[in-house]
Amino acid sequence: MNELLTIKDLTVAVGEKLLVNQASFEVSQGKIVAIAGGSGSGKTTIGLSILNLLPAALRIARGQIIFEGQDLLRLNSQELRERRGARIGMVFQEPLSAFDPLFTIGQQIDEVLAAHTSMTKQERYQQTLEVLSQVELPDPKRAFQSYPHQLSGGMRQRAMIAQAIACSPSLIIADEPTSNLDVTLQVKINAIFKVLKTKNISTLLITHDLGMINQLADEVVILRQGNVVEKGSASQVIATPIDPYTRQLVEAFQ
Amino acid sequence: MIAKFSLTGKICFWILVLMYAAAIFANFICPYHYDDEDRDYSYCPPTAVEFKDHDRWVHPFVYGRRLTFNEVHRRVYVKDFTQKYELHLFKMGRLLSVDAPGRFYLWGADARGRDLFSRIWYGARISLSIGIFGVLISFILGLIIGGIAGYYGGWIDQVLMRICEMFMMIPGFYLMLALRAVVPENFNSLEVYASVVVILALIGWASLARIIRGMALSVRERDYVLAAKTFGVPDIVIIVKHVLPQTISYSLASLMLTVSSYILAEAGLSVVGLGIQDPIPSWGNLLSDAMQIVPVIFAPWILLPGLFIFIAVVCFNVVGDSIRDVLDPTFNESSTNL
Repeated sequence: MNELLTIKDLTVAVGEKLLVNQASFEVSQGKIVAIAGGSGSGKTTIGLSILNLLPAALRIARGQIIFEGQDLLRLNSQELRERRGARIGMVFQEPLSAFDPLFTIGQQIDEVLAAHTSMTKQERYQQTLEVLSQVELPDPKRAFQSYPHQLSGGMRQRAMIAQAIACSPSLIIADEPTSNLDVTLQVKINAIFKVLKTKNISTLLITHDLGMINQLADEVVILRQGNVVEKGSASQVIATPIDPYTRQLVEAFQ
Repeated sequence: MIAKFSLTGKICFWILVLMYAAAIFANFICPYHYDDEDRDYSYCPPTAVEFKDHDRWVHPFVYGRRLTFNEVHRRVYVKDFTQKYELHLFKMGRLLSVDAPGRFYLWGADARGRDLFSRIWYGARISLSIGIFGVLISFILGLIIGGIAGYYGGWIDQVLMRICEMFMMIPGFYLMLALRAVVPENFNSLEVYASVVVILALIGWASLARIIRGMALSVRERDYVLAAKTFGVPDIVIIVKHVLPQTISYSLASLMLTVSSYILAEAGLSVVGLGIQDPIPSWGNLLSDAMQIVPVIFAPWILLPGLFIFIAVVCFNVVGDSIRDVLDPTFNESSTNL
């Protein structure tokens, strides 16, 4: 298999308490892998571990995070910074707070391009408009000039995805990208992730929404209190859950 | 922003504007150069401008002065009605002037017969600008050091904050004297000015850095700072573009309050004779003439520079408060609700 991201025995601790306990799973090229579980199950912690941006109190006690053949946990801060945004994009749950209110959407996407590429200002402008239209924003030029608060929730989330794909990364980590959106917008955002998949961009989807997993994910990892209780192909896990906790989740969803 | 100031805030703002305008245009509004002395007029009291001559309205003029001595051999200037000097408007590039040998002392003269009015406004150039430049430097230092300490936290924060505390631990005035002692005494006036600016900046940056650090500590927890990190934006860009702008409303208000303390500090340094040196005037060294009681009793106008220091400090404080009230409207509400 062509593994883009391999997580082996990842253990994250705060003090003596383990938030994530020996989690292992893989994300293949061009696949959408979902991490599902209730609140506090360690979903977001795994997402931030990959970028090595855990809060100061949390530490990675053990494990390996192998991305494109290199263990991210062994890279120095400069090498990590070169990968964040450029090879791995992140989509946050609440784009209104994930964008700086003082800058326009265009300036903030431009900032990511400026950090990772040697493009001229004009090239960056073109590239920003290009990614804004890729996420099907109706008027990319207007979105470019808009401040975060001037856009609707759905448009902001698309702009967030545009920022994540600006440098054509190979992996996107999406942390509950649709949980604050209404159902019709969720469908549209899901469609964007499907388009990204056709472009061979893998997505690590962090969610508690089994409906979204059902529609999007190829594989699913079920987390419970930091332990991986079940993993496998998404359709199979949802159709025939083995673990009692997975069964609870599926029943709650139905 | 000024439109939202309280009435006192507006008044103080415009007083400051006037004072800065007077300082900038000092060589136009002042009748004499700051070092234009005439020792025959030592401690000459303010000159009265006459509008009437033999009960007829005439072009404003001043009488000459004749020096006499009273019964205790003290200098007394009496009007010499035989000498009249017309007040000229816009002559020789000066707003008001009289022809020599007449002298025109609107606010009296100092010991060497130099016009106090002129010396105050030339001195305002030093006193009103030194605080601004000092604040600019300590502001930049405070923003950079506070921003770095707050953003990174950990041992960087510890080291920087302990350095700040070392500066804050020493009482400001004595630190200032100590720093001044390091400066060579053969400096020319521009070098002294620059060194006073640096000294002022060094005593004030620490408290600003501490407060910026506290604000940066809270701003760095915001999602967009984390988002910028996940996108691999360099730390220095995050600090400058995403963290420091959030502290600007506080910084602006504290900037104004710091300017006033720097004006006082420069005056303190100059009063004890360690600041700007005569003949260049500053409000501080003008006031040092009023350190002895006898001249103050017989020539009370030499206290005037103190009045201007007072006005400038009060105005900067009120304007600083007004800026804070405008930028942070909840501040007053919460304090009255306590």
